[in-house]
Amino acid sequence: MKEPIIARLDGISRYYGSGAGQVNALENITLSFDKGAMTALAGPSGSGKSTLLHILGCIDKPDKGTVLIDGIDTTPLSLEQLSSLRLEKIGFVFQSFNLIPVLTAYENVELPLLFKELPKQLIAEKVQEVLAKVGLLERKNHYPRQLSGGQQQRVAIARALVGNPSMILADEPTANLDSNTGKSILDLLFSLNDRESITTVIASHDPAVLERVGKVVRIRDGRIFPD
Amino acid sequence: MNIIKLARLAWRNLLRNGRRTLITLLVSSAGFAALAIVAGYMEFTFYGLQEMTICRGFTAGGGTGHLQIFRKEALDREERFPLEYGIGQNQTIQSEIEKEKNVLATIPRIEFNGLISNGEKSISFLGTGVVPEKEIKLIDYWNQTNKMTNSRRMDNSAYLNLAKGAPNGVLVGEEMAKALDAKVGTNLMLMSTTVDGAVNAVDVTVAGIARNPMKSIDRYYLVSHLETAQNLMFTDKVSKIVVVLNNTGNTQSAIPSISRRINGSGSSGSFSIVPWQSLAEYYYSVRDAYNIIFSFTGIIVVVIVFLSCANTMLMATMERVREIGTLKAIGISNSWISLMFLLEGFFIGLLSVAGGIVLKFLFSIIINNSGFRMPPPPGMTSSYLLNIFPAMEFLPWISLLVIASTTLSGLLALIKIRKISIVNSLSHV
Ligand SMILES: Nc1ncnc2c1ncn2[C@@H]1O[C@H](COP(=O)(O)OP(=O)(O)OP(=O)(O)O)[C@@H](O)[C@H]1O
Ligand SMILES: [Mg+2]
Repeated sequence: MKEPIIARLDGISRYYGSGAGQVNALENITLSFDKGAMTALAGPSGSGKSTLLHILGCIDKPDKGTVLIDGIDTTPLSLEQLSSLRLEKIGFVFQSFNLIPVLTAYENVELPLLFKELPKQLIAEKVQEVLAKVGLLERKNHYPRQLSGGQQQRVAIARALVGNPSMILADEPTANLDSNTGKSILDLLFSLNDRESITTVIASHDPAVLERVGKVVRIRDGRIFPD
Repeated sequence: MNIIKLARLAWRNLLRNGRRTLITLLVSSAGFAALAIVAGYMEFTFYGLQEMTICRGFTAGGGTGHLQIFRKEALDREERFPLEYGIGQNQTIQSEIEKEKNVLATIPRIEFNGLISNGEKSISFLGTGVVPEKEIKLIDYWNQTNKMTNSRRMDNSAYLNLAKGAPNGVLVGEEMAKALDAKVGTNLMLMSTTVDGAVNAVDVTVAGIARNPMKSIDRYYLVSHLETAQNLMFTDKVSKIVVVLNNTGNTQSAIPSISRRINGSGSSGSFSIVPWQSLAEYYYSVRDAYNIIFSFTGIIVVVIVFLSCANTMLMATMERVREIGTLKAIGISNSWISLMFLLEGFFIGLLSVAGGIVLKFLFSIIINNSGFRMPPPPGMTSSYLLNIFPAMEFLPWISLLVIASTTLSGLLALIKIRKISIVNSLSHV
């Protein structure tokens, strides 16, 4: 049986600037993401991977086309509605980790849960659980500056994971890490995808990433490029 | 959302750039202290002016005292002849009032006017007939009882001279003395209408030259013994009785009990009791003018506090663009992020109030012990020792003002936060 579709991009275009200097960052992209799948967005620098991920993550709006998340058409949603949609359904992992420097690992992971109506006890359990999954329970009281890059990225993954999102979007998650550490971060993402069927989309031009991912979407000049 | 955790985040963000926060804190604490000291100075000035009104007055008629007793008709109707509605048997009434517990003294006065002449030249005068020993009680109140004692002493030598001199002695204003070429000991003549409508004259001797606090009145200023005025006018009445209390704060509460003593328990007695406030036009006009100046100072200080805090807030937002973008991407709404910045401003406000209170008391102590003298107020003649009052009742309002302006400076950050595009901020370094 085919897995249900968790997100769908339909005829997406995104333009920057206008007139002669207009950049067509994305041009008529149509793509579906199956529940539990691991997808990689590949392509050279400037091809539009990040732009696509941003639109999929509802932090950017396309100039044309529609984005459906869990069957919801995001086009008519207000900023506030998009914000709560992200809180509920999307987990971001960034290239440069983007942890809040004044919060400990624990507090960083806890942060998104504080904006949901959840009992305290449940929040605490959930945070412990995901910290254990990324293997950082014993470092939970450390601040980001006391953690290595790989550890920070693990905290970021835990933060993305903690709200049980429909999908995790990772933009070059290994680009700021050395190859060994990068590999262990990939291992983590793969094992989460494997064992917990977490839908994951990774934008990357790192061959080490691409050779491990089942479904690779190749993008060039804002268009999908068949293999 | 757990507001305590958001507050904790805001608090830690404040400590992040400790030096900048400290500078902002210093500016707003200094702002608080400045406002509090201005308030203390204002309270001192108004108190001084109030006591000055009570003890010396800004008219020809002397200090208002705390209360003045008139016959009811004197306030309601125009007199057909001088002292038609004067108070007779004032001694009896005075001793009745003096039984009241907060009363220090009662002072009878006659207001009269006419011409004063040196034989060659006559000019008009605004006169007060007084009992000098009683008037000295009013000066004693200033010098011994009220809070201005340390700032400035009031001179009672003119009344002492009047008391010690001949029974027909008078005090005249400096300008009047100049106009009539009079010195102490010069004989002059007073002319006025009697209660019967006839014209009468008495001989007087200058017992002293007294300066009226208001320069414009000095040319018409004349003080005589009560008897001199009564002889001139063929009367044994007085115009009013001035009551001196032990504390200006007791003014209102003294009215009903004094009224009971002199009017009986019925509601329609024959005397009106007028508090000093109703007799203090000059006090209120100066107070209004000063209030405008002080409010203006206040506004400037608040604007400085606001701008300094707004600067900090804007710098904080600029520095944290990527962080704000991350919070937004995670799905935290603009309102929560803005609330975090408002809380940061609020904390700066709280800390500034704490720091400001310390600074205020420190500076007050220094100023009050420095012996700094203020130049005389407009139209007045002598300088006085600067004193900053505690002005406690102003502190909650000033705190509110400072906290409001630091918190609202977070609003500027808020506008900025709304404008930050998530995608752009994520690529921001
Ligand atoms: N804010 C912007 N203003 C103008 N052009 C932009 C903007 N953001 C992206 N672009 C352009 O859109 C195109 C796609 O950019 P995008 O960041 O999606 O590429 P990418 O595939 O993620 O590249 P990289 O591998 O370097 O991260 C590029 O040509 C880029 O210059
Ligand atoms: Mg990119």
